[in-house]
Amino acid sequence: MEQLAVDIAAWPVSRAINESSWIFALVQAFHLLSLAFLAGAVLMVDLRLLGKGFSNQPTATVARDARPWLLGSIVAMVLTGIPQFISLAPKEYESTYFRWKMLLLLVVLIYTFTIKRLVAYAPEGRFGGGVSAVVALVSIGLWASIAINGRLIGFFGV
Amino acid sequence: MVDIALGDYFAPLRSLFETVAEFESSIALRESQYMMPWVFVFHVVSMCMFAGTILMMDLRLLGIGYMKTPFSQVQRKLFPWQMAAMLFSTATGLALVWGNPLNYVTNIIFWVKMLAMGIAGVNALAFHFITEYTLVDWDAGQTPPLGAKLAGAISIVLWGNVVIAGRLMPYALTWFRE
Repeated sequence: MEQLAVDIAAWPVSRAINESSWIFALVQAFHLLSLAFLAGAVLMVDLRLLGKGFSNQPTATVARDARPWLLGSIVAMVLTGIPQFISLAPKEYESTYFRWKMLLLLVVLIYTFTIKRLVAYAPEGRFGGGVSAVVALVSIGLWASIAINGRLIGFFGV
Repeated sequence: MVDIALGDYFAPLRSLFETVAEFESSIALRESQYMMPWVFVFHVVSMCMFAGTILMMDLRLLGIGYMKTPFSQVQRKLFPWQMAAMLFSTATGLALVWGNPLNYVTNIIFWVKMLAMGIAGVNALAFHFITEYTLVDWDAGQTPPLGAKLAGAISIVLWGNVVIAGRLMPYALTWFRE
């Protein structure tokens, strides 16, 4: 795996990103902008599950409206995340924060498209307020810890 | 490197920022090993909550998102969250500048960000005092009027600019001369 990371960083495209003074910066900037859109799309549903947002609309309606923005921003995050990873692959691979971020990302994606989806799209009233609130808080907590670990890679990890 | 002698334009502000840099609280923030990274982390998280909920509201204004919910509901329900997140990101943002004022005073990208935030504020007020008066006519409708679409588009561009500028700030020293 370690050798693979070194090989990836040696790809011409990886080196081009790393050596350019602006490609990497712009990719980072759009990664953050995608994160803001993602946070918005996640919060729209989670705040509704908490009973604090759009309480006049069924959660399933809000979730259906948020879906294209959620999927679109996840795709944008991945597309802007990959160039950052390949250009710094060996350092990222060694970073504890990067490893946590990837593990949490896997967990949150599975969680979002199974448990959270089940609760958000259920007929109104199927799950109690307590269950909905826990589902929302876990979602917010997972996404926030991904953002936190992502920011910490830059400070302590790489 | 682009040659912009920003130092000259910001000479009066520079002495103010230099004064702040000498405060004990500023030195303490700057010299603590863990304080600043964590302030940064909370700035990013609260910014995401703020910008995220603003952007979703803007999509509704543009008529391309959350169209099953009347705009007034989107706005009313999100408002307290937007304000709480704004307070938090303002506080952490002030702490960042307080701890390293000289890094910011001649940073052109920092001033672009501040300007964009100022204009975004004016845009929000203009929407509130002008376009919102006609809200009853289009609240639940599928095509918001031009004024609403314009407010949403301007807001997305400006807040997008704020987020992007925030991330690009550290590169200002590589790209521009002080």
